[in-house]
Amino acid sequence: MIEQLLFWVFAILTCGAAVAVVATQNVVRMAFWLIVSLGSVSALFFLLHADFLGAAQLLIYVGGTVVLLVFGVMLTASGSSVRIKTSPAEAFVGAGVGLLLLSVLLFSVTSVEWDDLESRLPTRNLSPAAIDSQREASSDADVAAAGSSVAGPAREAQAALAARTQAGRTVRQLGLGFLGLRPDQDLNRPEGEGLSSGYLLPFEIVSIHLLVVLVGAAYLARAKRRVVAGASADL
Amino acid sequence: MDPQTTGDLLRNLLTAAWLLPLLGFIAEIYWLRWSHRLSKSSALCAVACIGLGFLCSFSALMVWGNATGWAALSPVEHHGSSEHHGSEASHPEHAPADAAAVIAGAGHENHGEEVAHSAKSVQKAFSGTFYQLAKFGSLKLSLDWYIDSLTLVMFTMVTFIATCIHIFAIGYMKDELTEEYEDHEVHTSHGHFTRPGRFHRFFAYLSLFCFSMLGLVLAGNIFQVFIFWELVGVCSYLLIGFYIERKSASTAANKAFIMNRVGDFGFLIGLMILWTWCGTFQFADSPTSGDAGLFTMVRGNDGKLDVSEDGKEVFLRDASGHRLQQHGQDRSIGYLLLIAAGCGIFAGCIGKSAQFPLQTWLPDAMEGPTPVSALVHSATMVAAGVYLAGRFYPMFTPEVLLVIAYIGCITLFIAATIAVVATDIKRVLAYSTISQLGYMMLAIGVGGWGAGLFHLVTHAFFKSLMFLCSGSVIAGCHHVQEMPRMGGLRRKMPITAYTMLVGVIAISGLAIPVLNIGLSGFYSKDAIVASALAYSNLNPVHSLLFFTPLVTAGITAFYMFRLWFLTFAGEPRDQHVYDHCHESPRVMTTPLIVLAVLAGACAWGWLMFDGDGNPGLLSPVAVDAEVAGEQPAESASWWKWLSNGGKEGPLCGGEAGPLFRLLADSAVVSADEPYTSLGPAKITIPSHHQIHEVHPQAGVMALIAAFAGSILAYVMYGVRGIRAEDIRRQFPGVHEFLVDKWRFDVLYDAMFVRPVHVVSAWCTGFDKHVLDVVLHTSAKVVQSVAQWDRKFDEGMVDGLVNLVGNVTRSVGMSLRVVQTGRLRQYVMWVAVGVVVLFAVLITATPR
Amino acid sequence: MGGVGLEAYLIVGAILFVCGVVCMATKRNAIGVLMGVELVLNGANINFVAFSRFTPLGLDGQSFALFVVVLAAAEAAVALAIALNFYNNHTTIDVDRGNELHG
Repeated sequence: MIEQLLFWVFAILTCGAAVAVVATQNVVRMAFWLIVSLGSVSALFFLLHADFLGAAQLLIYVGGTVVLLVFGVMLTASGSSVRIKTSPAEAFVGAGVGLLLLSVLLFSVTSVEWDDLESRLPTRNLSPAAIDSQREASSDADVAAAGSSVAGPAREAQAALAARTQAGRTVRQLGLGFLGLRPDQDLNRPEGEGLSSGYLLPFEIVSIHLLVVLVGAAYLARAKRRVVAGASADL
Repeated sequence: MDPQTTGDLLRNLLTAAWLLPLLGFIAEIYWLRWSHRLSKSSALCAVACIGLGFLCSFSALMVWGNATGWAALSPVEHHGSSEHHGSEASHPEHAPADAAAVIAGAGHENHGEEVAHSAKSVQKAFSGTFYQLAKFGSLKLSLDWYIDSLTLVMFTMVTFIATCIHIFAIGYMKDELTEEYEDHEVHTSHGHFTRPGRFHRFFAYLSLFCFSMLGLVLAGNIFQVFIFWELVGVCSYLLIGFYIERKSASTAANKAFIMNRVGDFGFLIGLMILWTWCGTFQFADSPTSGDAGLFTMVRGNDGKLDVSEDGKEVFLRDASGHRLQQHGQDRSIGYLLLIAAGCGIFAGCIGKSAQFPLQTWLPDAMEGPTPVSALVHSATMVAAGVYLAGRFYPMFTPEVLLVIAYIGCITLFIAATIAVVATDIKRVLAYSTISQLGYMMLAIGVGGWGAGLFHLVTHAFFKSLMFLCSGSVIAGCHHVQEMPRMGGLRRKMPITAYTMLVGVIAISGLAIPVLNIGLSGFYSKDAIVASALAYSNLNPVHSLLFFTPLVTAGITAFYMFRLWFLTFAGEPRDQHVYDHCHESPRVMTTPLIVLAVLAGACAWGWLMFDGDGNPGLLSPVAVDAEVAGEQPAESASWWKWLSNGGKEGPLCGGEAGPLFRLLADSAVVSADEPYTSLGPAKITIPSHHQIHEVHPQAGVMALIAAFAGSILAYVMYGVRGIRAEDIRRQFPGVHEFLVDKWRFDVLYDAMFVRPVHVVSAWCTGFDKHVLDVVLHTSAKVVQSVAQWDRKFDEGMVDGLVNLVGNVTRSVGMSLRVVQTGRLRQYVMWVAVGVVVLFAVLITATPR
Repeated sequence: MGGVGLEAYLIVGAILFVCGVVCMATKRNAIGVLMGVELVLNGANINFVAFSRFTPLGLDGQSFALFVVVLAAAEAAVALAIALNFYNNHTTIDVDRGNELHG
């Protein structure tokens, strides 16, 4: 119940703040509403048992990106540019198009029988709880490996306990995934099938990408020394 | 001098005389380069060239006379031996040791004192080669020279007369000395035609004309003759068409040229026959290789044809009289072929000398300036034909000679009758020329070879005289040529009138009866009539050949005196013309006087010889060369001759005169005894002796005829005892017929011109209605196909390409609007696009 | 486990997404546009994580969400640098002024 309540609170916060971002004309307020919205999203992530991701969201977005945006606002704010008004006609058109797009999305979301999803997926016929338990079980691979000699029912019960206590602890799995290992998928895999692919290469690419972006951003944003004909005398 | 040196000297002199006019021509053609149009210097240049040529020619005559010891002038009666040709002469001429070398080639000169008795074997003809052009097998084409007495006399005569005419032309053509010559006979849309004067060009043409004629005379082979023959034709074309802007002049020039081509066609046929059968064109034997020339081939060294027994072949012989061998057989030419060759060559002469049936061009040739007429009618163009007939006499069989005689006979009669009714002064002279040329041809045809050429020379003098006189009259009367508008001019222009009278008497053949002293024409015509009489005596069938010229002699006298009386005597009939006419300047009258003297005296021999053959009044002993007057000195020889009756023995003139002898000396054909043809026509050619026998008889008859004609003319036109109009009214048909020139022009028009027109009209119709239609149709088809093709190209191909381009462009232009460059709009479009895509997917995909 | 299903999260993600798009489409301020981009990316992230939670996708969704977060940060940095350059060149932050590439 509490989880449901929390969901609704954060969902409304998220959507309301997003709408506020759209509706607000002041950039600084927009930044504020954005913080609210992104923070609520991180809360939703927590609700979705994605602890690490929620933390990362808070750190990177709320703590980094939005601050960066605010810096941008301050660097570019020169009175008039803080409030650049959108014409009502544009706002109207934007709202219309937005509503249309929203209706399309909602239509497609609602038209899918999400409950049917499990029956449609051939290999793993699992409920969210089962998924969680499996995930927890695999996360404690060493434990599972240790108790591999234990009989099935006992192991089931042990796994359920572990799921309850360790729900949302995804840091280790994600770290292994980024290193190219997928214990969550490969542990119960029958012999003879290949191993699942990890994310080592994308991870490296993203790392390099970040480095390049850092260098590039620094280069683009550096203070250009404009040599004006008359200015050199003043220096 | 040995023959070699003599030959070289003669060649050099005559070559100089021949080439000088060419030099003059080249200089005068470019005269405007260094002179101006109003300068008379070009005429002086021409006169100098031709005058120097005369001096050279005359010197050559002297040289030749000295070299031969004047044997030709031997006063002795015709020698019993044959006349010789080439160096093979075996019989010495028994020239008297004391016979002075005397010459009367042109009448008023004489020269050097040489005793020629040493010449036992005298070479009288010289030949050689200037330059060999080409060699085709055995045939050599080369520029040769052939010099005998005929060549020399022709050279002297041509250059002398040409000189006189040149001088006369300076006066006659002075109208051309202007920048703007107004031609009164050419009408353009705005008045008379005006052009720059062409004085220098006229003299250039004259010089070229003389060059061509001299080259023709000097030529040593028949092909070279043909070359210069054509050159003469070209020159006559240029000169007759001198006033080229006049339609009549250009037509006349064309007519002359085309008529000559007709004759030349025959000439070419003759050439081809000779080439094929004789293999050479040379007249004389080659002095270097000794190859036989044409004359030797046909006539051998005895001047006779070597005819086979059946009369079908003529054997060719070499200089020593042996038959030529080829492949072990005697070379020969068919008798009929020889006749054909002779007739072919003579056809050329017909064209050139305006004989029947090609005589119609000559009267039209009067369109040229009068000096040209004089030159054409006396010394050059028409003389060329007679000269060739004479030169080629050895090649003519008696049958060919018969043809020549009849052609001449017909011509002389036709022309004389037309001349009777002609009223244009120049036309009368033109027809008289044709008539006289007919006489010459007749003479050659009846065996009076010497007589024909004799008449050629004498006629050249008096005809050039008369033409120049008529030119003087025309110039004096401001280009009035119609005799009915003249009359009484003798009071206004006495010199012209009386020099003309000399010419008229000369051509008429009048003489003092009993004494037989006449002007040159008397002697030559006498000789011709005598030859004709002898011929008709031997061949009674052809007696028409005697009576026609006899009657025509009377007609000649009639129309010539008619001309003179109409022009110079009586009362002026056109006061306007009379008032404005005047005597010509001295530059024109001086040649008249000189020519008149020569026309009278050129046939006389008694100025040089006395009755015994001793030097006469103007013999070389009498140094002065001028003919100071016609009155013979009172000398013993003169009385001796007079007491002799002036008939036979004394060298009074005519056949016994030096001119005749000089000409006859070049004969190749023996005429010592009558020759009867072995060919198809049994004709006998009379011998010299037979002609001589009938000479007095013929002379009397001719004289009577001449007197009859003269007196009739005097009665009709002098005292007007008989009115010409009455006679005309009495015979309207005849008059009409004669005025229409025997309707030859009409006949030729109907025979040749009309058919050609009809055929060409057919051809034109075919061209227009068949060929052109085909061509035009195909052209139109091609054009329309091309137009369709063009439309296809422009519409379809281009249109397609353009359409693609245009569509692309217009799409781009319309899409350009979308590219606003506004970020937010792009976002909006993305959103809208998603929505639309979704809507499309939802509606389009089946559920 | 409550009654909150996959659908609810997806709706939240959709609303965020649409808000982001509308934000990009209407804001003339370049920073506002960037904020719209962040919203769009977060909407997507919610979807990833929700699928990761409610479907056998497993950790792949979270991994992708992490990548997206990282890339969003990088994008924000570069975009801000571009915006600063734009501001330097145009002395304004109005994106409507940067239409040099119009057709």
